Amino acid sequence: MNILEISDLTVRFGGLTAVNSVSLDIPAKEIVSVIGPNGAGKTTLFNAITGIYDPTNGRICFNGEEARRPFRWTTALTLALVGLIAGLSLVLIVNVEPLWDTAITSNYTYQQTFLWSNAVSAASNYFGELPIQRFVVPFLIGGLVGLAGALAIWHRTRRAPEVAARAGIARTFQNIRLFNQMTALDNVLLGMDSQLRTSVWHAALRLPLYWRERDEAVQRAMDILRFVDLDRDANQLAENLSYGHQRRLEIARALAMQPRLLLLDEPAAGMNPAEAQELMKLIHDIRDRGITVLLIEHHMQVVMGISDHIAVLDHGEKIAEGNPEAVRSNPKVIEAYLGKES
Amino acid sequence: MPAPRRILFHWSFLIVAALIPLIELVLPGHPRIGDLLRPIFIMAMLGLGLNILTGFTGQLNLGVAAFMAVGAYSYAILTCDIYPFRLGFWSATALTVLVGLTVGLFLGLPTIRLRGDYLAIVTLGFGEIVEDVLKNLDSITKGTQGINPLPGPSWFGYHFHAETYQPWYYLFLGFLAVLVLLNRNLQRSRVGRAWISIREDELASSCMGVNPMKMKLLAFALGAAQCSLAGALWASYLGSSGEPGNYDFQVSIIALCIVIVGGMGNVGGVLLGALVIMGFNSIVLETVTNFLKAHQLISSSNVFTAPGNWKYMLYGLALILMMRFRPEGLLPSRQFKAEVHPNEPHSPPTS
Amino acid sequence: MSGSEIFLQQLIIGLSNGMIVALIALGYTMVYGIIELINFAHGDLFMLGSFAALTVVGLLGLDQLTAGAPGMWGGLFVMLLVVPLFCGGLNWLADRFAYRHLRESTKLAPLVSAIGLSFVFMNIGLLWGGVPMNVFGLGHSAASPKDFPALVSNVNLLGQSAVEFTEKDLMVFVVTLPLMVLLTWFVKGTRSGKAMRAVAQDRLAARLMGIPVDRVIGQTFLIGGALAGVASVVSSVYNNTIYFQMGYRAGMDAFTAAVLGGIGSLPGAVLGGLVIGLARALCDQYLETRWTNVLVFTVLILVLVFRPQGLLGARAKEKV
Repeated sequence: MNILEISDLTVRFGGLTAVNSVSLDIPAKEIVSVIGPNGAGKTTLFNAITGIYDPTNGRICFNGEEARRPFRWTTALTLALVGLIAGLSLVLIVNVEPLWDTAITSNYTYQQTFLWSNAVSAASNYFGELPIQRFVVPFLIGGLVGLAGALAIWHRTRRAPEVAARAGIARTFQNIRLFNQMTALDNVLLGMDSQLRTSVWHAALRLPLYWRERDEAVQRAMDILRFVDLDRDANQLAENLSYGHQRRLEIARALAMQPRLLLLDEPAAGMNPAEAQELMKLIHDIRDRGITVLLIEHHMQVVMGISDHIAVLDHGEKIAEGNPEAVRSNPKVIEAYLGKES
Repeated sequence: MPAPRRILFHWSFLIVAALIPLIELVLPGHPRIGDLLRPIFIMAMLGLGLNILTGFTGQLNLGVAAFMAVGAYSYAILTCDIYPFRLGFWSATALTVLVGLTVGLFLGLPTIRLRGDYLAIVTLGFGEIVEDVLKNLDSITKGTQGINPLPGPSWFGYHFHAETYQPWYYLFLGFLAVLVLLNRNLQRSRVGRAWISIREDELASSCMGVNPMKMKLLAFALGAAQCSLAGALWASYLGSSGEPGNYDFQVSIIALCIVIVGGMGNVGGVLLGALVIMGFNSIVLETVTNFLKAHQLISSSNVFTAPGNWKYMLYGLALILMMRFRPEGLLPSRQFKAEVHPNEPHSPPTS
Repeated sequence: MSGSEIFLQQLIIGLSNGMIVALIALGYTMVYGIIELINFAHGDLFMLGSFAALTVVGLLGLDQLTAGAPGMWGGLFVMLLVVPLFCGGLNWLADRFAYRHLRESTKLAPLVSAIGLSFVFMNIGLLWGGVPMNVFGLGHSAASPKDFPALVSNVNLLGQSAVEFTEKDLMVFVVTLPLMVLLTWFVKGTRSGKAMRAVAQDRLAARLMGIPVDRVIGQTFLIGGALAGVASVVSSVYNNTIYFQMGYRAGMDAFTAAVLGGIGSLPGAVLGGLVIGLARALCDQYLETRWTNVLVFTVLILVLVFRPQGLLGARAKEKV
């Protein structure tokens, strides 16, 4: 069963085609590596999977569905509602002064009791006698602009990164993007954010749910830090950690999301052989927890050591695919890239 | 240890503030220092409102005066007896907060997705638009005359009035304390963490499942609600809605100065900023002007001699110099200080 | 005047004002294009240029001349030399002392610095209005608007026609059009122009190519400021009034124009300027003047929601 199916994916930026008709199937609970020379389009591929870039062409299906906000009838309803509110608001805005006059000012004598029924009937009279251009026209304009605007905004955020994240895709970055001025613990807690239920109310008023959830979250976060062997550094600022520890923290943060698919972008960069060994063990442990791992890596020892399956990209195209043995001896791959044993 | 010092400031501020009217009673001549402090409390509330979006979430809002105006005018319309609503202080204030929240949502929805610098300009436009609208709808807002007089608040039958200022003082201080508490609670919670992650690295934050648009909108709307509250309290203090021109760009910039000079993202810093900026504005400037007037050093034909004519320049220089030398503010949140001085070693805050 | 004549008249007014907005917008867009900073102080720079122009008028005694006298053209010429230099130089100084050290900083810091500078400029304008010269009202009421003498007349060049295209309108086009052609040649044809475009596209790469990035950025500020200076001369002569808060309005219009046309795009800034100028004129005539500002702002919001890259701009993607 494939957890991720990339079909004929093309990502183009203006004149540059970074990814060209790449198709790739990732079976669940496997460790798949994507390798290739620099500039081959690997990180662009990751960015397309995680919703940072929109595909120019092709599809990416995660668990059988494209990782983007579906257009359901509730969406249509919300958009229509926005349009309705916008239209009514514009009508109100255009008519506010005369409406206020007839409904409120005319019916109110200073410091006497005010009859709301009078105001309501005056208002409905006003609208009844309103010429078309002060009612229908603003309503249509407001409604259409509101609807179109909401649609435009919705469309543009359809494939936003948080959608892919919440669907179950987590990632690390080629250049570490930790929240440097938060502690390691806070970084991991942030990774858990989409699973927490504490709302603004709970937080502001310190309702019981806040305390309960906080304790559970901290427990879980510490468990994850233990899993990557960083629990001693929980209260260190992320930026004060060593490079190797930072890489592991990024992984911990991604794991906090309880993902089904984990994308690691060059996790072994800058590691010596001993550290690389530890990383390989960590990735194995992650896979044993049921998480599929997709890996971009240049460190050949790691790639050959843990991959069940390897795909090779060059200049945006997939030039080879297969198990480590097959890829290693593929002449096209050797020609394009291979040869750097670390 | 730095962390307790940081926590203590806003509490010490509030405690000292609570004691001032009592201290005054024992001092000879009963100086009414507290009287001068009320505008500082209001501006501190405005600063706290701005702090949520700008301090925590890192999005510049240059139009908070608009929300203050919305608050002041809503409160005025709801309480003045030239209009039929004639609500009491508490219900009017509660409704005003709701109005502020709604306006914040309304204005924020189409715009909160914009990048930082664009959002800044758009919020600038909000300030201008609200001012224009208030001026233009003068049959409702009474234009430059403003809506007045407004009745003072009442608490279980006791009516506030202008002569005894102490009840007002504690009322405003009470509101401020509640806002400080709520803001601090938000800051040290999942919500605050999400906001700060957006400020640090919005893209990474969204890749971790945080919805930046929703969080920014939340920050914007909550900030708007708080600024409206400040406006409502201001209107009740003045006994009038004031005129649209009172809620102009200058007010927004003073709020910005408060947050920036005091300390971005730090509630205690905002309080300090309010003290410094408003203290300068109301107390120092006044004193210097009076002094110069008394010694006849101010002449109406020489524009350079009136201290009030140098106000803009001082605010402007304050901003420029702060950005140059101490962008984190006088009393920074530990996190933000580290963000703007990336090459220095730091110790972590307690979680 | 018949309906179509009124419309034509508004077109002329709109285009003339639009050209002025376009000049200011060009300065905004050039600086934004190269360092992604909205120079908040740009509108106030324009305002200071107007005050500088009025000072030149006072120093040369131009307010004593009647419109049309030969001294006028000489005076105008001097203004068009001095004021752009002044504004360009001031803008260059702004970059050097308020923005340069913040290049690598967070997004917030340069913005805040620009706001601060805007305030400083505004205060300078206020104080300038109190300078004891005749043209400034001898130092009384520094804050009130100042009259700018009618150096160029309102004579209708179309003779007796109801629709007026005056000497003033001619001046606007005679000054701005060649300037825009010059700017286009500079940016496309010269080495400095190419360097500017290179820095705008990729600062690091430009630096690695040996381009003196800080110097190029300074040049951009200089040129952008000079454009604002020209705009301030033209605007002062055209509108005959200046006041120390006019920078804010002008800045908002120009920014809206730059965004509408596509920020970073020079032709976009011009297009945007013309559209805004026309929108203002038409709104003033056919709706109500008091809602014109709201209309311009609504245009800004609509552009940012539906087409944030503007009419002529290109979509940008963040590199991860």
